[in-house]
Amino acid sequence: MTALRQAGLILLIALGLAGVTAAVHPKRPSFLAPPRDPNEVTLAQTKQWPGTVLWVDARSESEFASEHVTDAICLNFENWTEQFPKFLDRYNPGQRVVVYCSATSCQLSREIADKLRASGVEDAYFLEGGWEAWKQQNRP
Amino acid sequence: MRLSLLLSLFLAIPAFAQLKWDTTEQTLKANPGDREIVATYRFTNTGTTAITIDNVHTSCGCTTAALTRNDYAPGESGQIVARMDIGNRTGHQEKSIVVTTKQNPKSPTVLRLLADIPQPVVMKPTFVMWALGESPNPKTINIKVTDGFAVKLLKVDSDNPDIKVEVSEIHPGVELEVKVTPKDTSRPEMATLLVRTDYPSDNPQTYYAYVKVK
Repeated sequence: MTALRQAGLILLIALGLAGVTAAVHPKRPSFLAPPRDPNEVTLAQTKQWPGTVLWVDARSESEFASEHVTDAICLNFENWTEQFPKFLDRYNPGQRVVVYCSATSCQLSREIADKLRASGVEDAYFLEGGWEAWKQQNRP
Repeated sequence: MRLSLLLSLFLAIPAFAQLKWDTTEQTLKANPGDREIVATYRFTNTGTTAITIDNVHTSCGCTTAALTRNDYAPGESGQIVARMDIGNRTGHQEKSIVVTTKQNPKSPTVLRLLADIPQPVVMKPTFVMWALGESPNPKTINIKVTDGFAVKLLKVDSDNPDIKVEVSEIHPGVELEVKVTPKDTSRPEMATLLVRTDYPSDNPQTYYAYVKVK
């Protein structure tokens, strides 16, 4: 019985310390997921859309040259002036545009999608998981 | 029993990182004329042993992060200075800087730089399009100088005489309404509209809007 009490006491103290850690630790995990951006789409969603999606690769030109989604156009802040007219050659009003960059941690796709919408491309979205997600789901 | 209890408590105490950051996130707004955004992240080694920062990695090629030195004794402070090149960037930008220490390589600290970069001249939209055979009714582009920028809109030219441009000044030099009309929509056409400004004075910028019949 004493052993059980001791175990219970240790458990209570450990739980107390764990609670303090969860409250004050600078690297505690977030238990509340941030709200999803309405312009973020999954690959599964894009596959359900009617019509052809225009893919925009927001990564660097060297990454684009190495591998990219078939028929994607490379458009980022560095080459915007040269590439935006080429984007318009391919774009038709009303068409859905999906921008991707390398991975979830990358913010470029969201920023380029924002810039496209500000330019007048109404249906500009960005891909959840980016190129990594696309590659994972389109493995040969 | 007491010894085992104390040992259990000791093991249960969480190991906090030795580097204490003043802040890991900064939100900055670019001012007119700025070419870069600079954010400083200060830290102190609050641990009892020396710490070595062995890697500082930025999420974007547009951002650099400079560290004065790598080793910090207990109690010593240092800083990382992040510089983001503005270039063609506008609007809300988020960059991250990942800092890894030799002592805790699996738990890097992620510093965030949030920036708002206003655009000196805003065009809405930046392109107009007609489908082949569509009625060639005029379409309008509104061009406006953002508050706080000493920009004067000088003129708007079309590089294609078959695309007619009619400019009305809503507020002279500050806000223009440009009516664009293609002469003919039976064949593909394209034009670039050149919006000339006097800003910045050492290298006045031209902004571009695009016209397509396709």
